[in-house]
Amino acid sequence: MSSILPSIAAPPLESGHKASIRLIDFLLVLAQLGLVLLLFRQFQIESAAFIQLSVLAFAGFAIHSWLPLPYRLPFFALLSLAGVGLVMGLENGAWLIGIGVVLIAICHLPFSFGVRTGILIIVGGILIAQRGAFLPAPWSQAIWPILGSMFMFRLLVYLYDLKHEKTSGTLSQKLAYFFMLPNACFPLFPVVDYKTFRTNYYDDDAYRTYQVGVDWIVRGVIHLLLYRVFYYHLTLAPHEVVEPSQLTQYLVSNFMLYLRVSGLFHLVVGMLHLFGFRLPETHNRYLLASSFTDFWRRINIYWKDFMQKLFYYPAVFKLRKLGTTKALVIATLYVFLMTWFLHAYQWFWLRGTMLLVWQDVLFWAILGVLVVFNSLYEIRHGRKRTLGREQRTWRDVAKLILRTYATFWFITILWSFWTAETLSDWFSLWTALKGPYNAEFLLFPLVVLAVIAVGSIPRASMRNVRATEQSQADWSRQRAVTVVALVALVAVGVEDVATKLGPNVATFVHSLRSGQLSRLDTAKLERGYYENLLSVDRFNSQLWEVYTNKPANWLDVDNANLKRFVSGFQRNELIPSFVFNSRYGPISINRLGMRDQDYTDAPTPGTYRAVVLGASSVMGWGVADGETFEALIEARLNREFTQGPFARYELLNMAVPGYEPPQQLLPFMKALDLQPHAIYYVATGREIKRSVRYLANAARDGLEIPFERLRQIVQVAGVTRQMDEAAAMRALAPYGAEMLMYIYMDIVEKSRSRGIAPVFIFLPQVRQGQWVEETPEILKIARESGFVMINMDDVYASHDVTTIRLAEWDHHPNARGHEVTAERLYRELMSLRAEVFDAAKR
Amino acid sequence: MSEQVKRAVKDFILKEFLPGEDPANLTDDLPLITTGILDSIATLKLVLHLEEKYGITLEAHEADKEHLDTLDKITALVAGKMK
Repeated sequence: MSSILPSIAAPPLESGHKASIRLIDFLLVLAQLGLVLLLFRQFQIESAAFIQLSVLAFAGFAIHSWLPLPYRLPFFALLSLAGVGLVMGLENGAWLIGIGVVLIAICHLPFSFGVRTGILIIVGGILIAQRGAFLPAPWSQAIWPILGSMFMFRLLVYLYDLKHEKTSGTLSQKLAYFFMLPNACFPLFPVVDYKTFRTNYYDDDAYRTYQVGVDWIVRGVIHLLLYRVFYYHLTLAPHEVVEPSQLTQYLVSNFMLYLRVSGLFHLVVGMLHLFGFRLPETHNRYLLASSFTDFWRRINIYWKDFMQKLFYYPAVFKLRKLGTTKALVIATLYVFLMTWFLHAYQWFWLRGTMLLVWQDVLFWAILGVLVVFNSLYEIRHGRKRTLGREQRTWRDVAKLILRTYATFWFITILWSFWTAETLSDWFSLWTALKGPYNAEFLLFPLVVLAVIAVGSIPRASMRNVRATEQSQADWSRQRAVTVVALVALVAVGVEDVATKLGPNVATFVHSLRSGQLSRLDTAKLERGYYENLLSVDRFNSQLWEVYTNKPANWLDVDNANLKRFVSGFQRNELIPSFVFNSRYGPISINRLGMRDQDYTDAPTPGTYRAVVLGASSVMGWGVADGETFEALIEARLNREFTQGPFARYELLNMAVPGYEPPQQLLPFMKALDLQPHAIYYVATGREIKRSVRYLANAARDGLEIPFERLRQIVQVAGVTRQMDEAAAMRALAPYGAEMLMYIYMDIVEKSRSRGIAPVFIFLPQVRQGQWVEETPEILKIARESGFVMINMDDVYASHDVTTIRLAEWDHHPNARGHEVTAERLYRELMSLRAEVFDAAKR
Repeated sequence: MSEQVKRAVKDFILKEFLPGEDPANLTDDLPLITTGILDSIATLKLVLHLEEKYGITLEAHEADKEHLDTLDKITALVAGKMK
């Protein structure tokens, strides 16, 4: 037990390098960190918690770098623990640290290694049962992803080193290793090797180590911004891929989403450099891999090293009696099998469910086999290595570029297979190869070729050498690159500067300035509300992080059976005369199947009646009866509009969660029987794509489509029951606008012919940013259909969305959001009084 | 003895992994694993060579940069095993 006693006086390993820093150098680093912080804020890098943690880390650096060397590691350990408290809060932080300390202490119990391992397995089993909700846990769900990221792999490395090393390190080293500072913000964290963590500590000149840390942080930010370019602007859904040019865009942008992982890992390791941990690179220009083994060595190097240390070498050493080749083949396949298993294990700790999908198994199996063949080739033919600048002929360079280019495309195809939601989605992508092959098709292949060609220019510098061993020219060049990149990014991030570069540049830069979900992930999130479709089973989706924070029993209304299935095109409806007490208050469905109070079958004389059609935001997902904007407006009209043309006002909420535009035609028909004066059709965005998806699935499910025009569209598009969803959507997409026009015109014409005012209300989801996908087109179609128009697309623009939405993972308005909506809509209705109210009186 | 081992190991590395390289560039303290000269396959080849040539047995946990990263470290490991 003595090894876990405090030992703050223990000096770090002797390295013979200068651990102190000159004031001028310190100020230089600090100035750069100031710019980095500005950059983090300008571009909202990651989360608000990460920016807070960065302030803590950079302030900590300012103190840490002037402390006597023996005090630095204990200080870093304390700073790391403080970081946990800062991000997780006191109670959760205390639980997390407490559990962690217990796990570390078990490793040092005065029993044999086998007994200690056995105890750890038992305790791990209890934690697994708690994570899987088989056993209760007294702490919040929120600690699991971070606890998992700190201990799920590092504990294995730690145990391995404990078994083989003479000394296990000081208490500070242990605490620093497990709770290391930036980890509190990142569920995805590089698997840092314990031995490297200890031995590389201040093993180079302090100033140069810090400066390399700044380089890496800046590089990480560049990766993250590039990621956003792809994530926001270039990713496509499988059903959007209809031409070869879109296929290449899909493949490249899908693979490039990995930039988020490499960017985060650079940030993490860069930050650790600021505290003297001269860790090796986490990635080595992985786009330039020229073979499958090369790819495995370049991408996520810490993972490769972890697998090599814990699985590959032990297996290959044990099997070497079989002969080198056999041992190598078996050990390599074993490594990929374990990689697959450990990814599922990692997913379990982060999400609480096991990740078992075929693409995962096949991806790792295929990559494993390819790496085996490549390794056998390397054993036989060797691999070219050099200690300096490689002498290459033009022919060598051309061959290398060609090999790298081929590897890149092969990897992107394999990657697309891995990340596809379903196998049928992936197979349907390839129908795009039919053509047309125009100039656009060449864009991505040429850009990739150019990047690979430039990247293949031989470099003289060696990887991972100490900064003091670098040539002065290399060192100066790197300083210049970092400072120029930093200043340029900060400058572009200033709104005035970006605006001066032109409106397009300003809009583009603005789009990169927040870490919101992309249009595709937002669509998935919204779809997930109703279909329980949490289709984020890959680490390169930003959506999984959002879901990681979502409580398992979020909105008990999910399971309240508010809806019942009905046969035919409508699929479902609210259950009449049903009351449920949700955590947000009562949800009452009246006898007519509306989330509303009871109404007569027809309006009484002197009463204005409007029927409101819409989906969950209108129905009042996550708010109590009487808190919906519809109820608030009805109350206000009756309270304040006493000088209006009617004595009483009724707004009937016929919205149903999850209803798509084609479905709205059925409640609309029922609404006509209620003799309203007006129909308020509330659209919340992406009406075209949602219509396409609904009709595609209705046709695939063999539902009878009760509208002649929609039936014709399905027929002309050639959608059949055998088609997968992506293919059916691809076929119907060209008819999307026509479909929506039909739906809107049907509502307008039938309303007008009965003297009912059709009012179109555009109400966006509550989220950050300015995604206006389809919005102008929807508004145009609605206007041309003859609706009375109310466009509220900026209703939430002046509000902090976090105060008016339900949660990060649920973009519906909360009670305050409904108040904001009601306030605005009331004003809009009053401004259209003549068309909406006075005309009804006549 | 140590010098002989070092020279032999150096010759092996130059011949197997760095053909055509100037021997002067392969210094005693040049990192081989961290710089990517010795990848997993090359490390394995080196281990098998050392075991065969010097009649020693290396453990899996010794196939790392603490023991094999430089000529100096490799020499120390071999010398330690031969005692």
